[in-house]
Amino acid sequence: MKLLLSISSLAAFVALGLVIAGLPAEAHHNSAPFYDDAQEVEVVGTVLRFNFRNPHSFIFIEAENENGEMVEWEVELGAAVSMSRRGWTRETIKAGDPIRAVGNPSRAPGTFGLCCAELSRPDGSPIQLVRLEADEVPLRMVAFVPSRSEK
Amino acid sequence: MRETDRPVLSRPLACLAAAAALLTVALGGASVGVIAQTTVAEVPDLVGVWNGGGRARPVNGPNMPWTPDNFPVLNERALAYQAVFDEAIAPKYDCVPSSSPAIQYDPYFMEVVQWPDRVLFRYEKDDQMRTVWLDGREPPLNGYSIQGFSVGRYEGDALLVETTHFVFDITGFDDYNGIPSSQLKTVTERYWRDGEELRMTLTVEDPLFLREPASYTARWLPAPEGYKLNPYGCDAEEARRAVKYMIPKYR
Repeated sequence: MKLLLSISSLAAFVALGLVIAGLPAEAHHNSAPFYDDAQEVEVVGTVLRFNFRNPHSFIFIEAENENGEMVEWEVELGAAVSMSRRGWTRETIKAGDPIRAVGNPSRAPGTFGLCCAELSRPDGSPIQLVRLEADEVPLRMVAFVPSRSEK
Repeated sequence: MRETDRPVLSRPLACLAAAAALLTVALGGASVGVIAQTTVAEVPDLVGVWNGGGRARPVNGPNMPWTPDNFPVLNERALAYQAVFDEAIAPKYDCVPSSSPAIQYDPYFMEVVQWPDRVLFRYEKDDQMRTVWLDGREPPLNGYSIQGFSVGRYEGDALLVETTHFVFDITGFDDYNGIPSSQLKTVTERYWRDGEELRMTLTVEDPLFLREPASYTARWLPAPEGYKLNPYGCDAEEARRAVKYMIPKYR
């Protein structure tokens, strides 16, 4: 398990943002006050638990930081009622699953929140959904209002 | 997809309406004048589960549905509240539901049920239900609530709804701009069918915070065939979890 922390160039991040911006989202709050959309963090670790709930689901990932210490990241996802329409269940992610998350880190120092993340297996392969309607989106995309398009 | 061949007024609803009309006549104009203002044929069919998500319309945010073109003109009181507003105090982080004019634009599914004397709006988000009374009743004394008190009538091919008696809400205007609403807030909605779609124009007035009325229009698409609203069961722990990620505005 390891944690890779990187600050992307703005251009690279905008490219990622365009992918996310085209997705359906379930708005509960604006991401901008909570997360720094000028930074991108990659977390590779093990799922501790998955709270499939409303108004937001969370995946808790244990990963090693640059100093070799274990850190618990909290990856914020969309509302369970909306995610379930795209094939998510509370069994989609299980404790012990290896996982990779790339997203925006939380703003407050000492916190380890992650927003608007791409989720995949550590090798980049997608995580399987129960079903996937033709006009819906793959699992790795997080349902969240992309604040950069709303500023 | 949702039923598409339903007549303008479904059979059970028509039967109920006819029975209610007969009952009204039999009672000699009893105080509850069920659907007295309309005939059966005038009632638009709004029944069904409707998709208000990202496929139906742009998702809400700081500039949606309140764009630069229709953003409300705030008075000094509203601007003062907005300036001191702290996101962490927003009631939604403790699972308090949003109210009109925000709840209609939340990107979730909604169910409409039409009865002779009322229309029910059920919202998947936060398990909310609004009752629109069609029987001419008055709001109860001191009957203030988050969703207010709604009365309505059918006019032409539309349902008109007027809602008053809201409680003060620090984010009562929307979820994104820190604009409150007062007990004097009035929300009017007009719902109509446009083919398979459901459309609504909403206007909000609040003399304590807005200088003039503000309006937006939204649409819903039919939900997938057989879709039933899921329980929301807002989890207070998850609702507030992200608040600690913000750099506090006040210490």
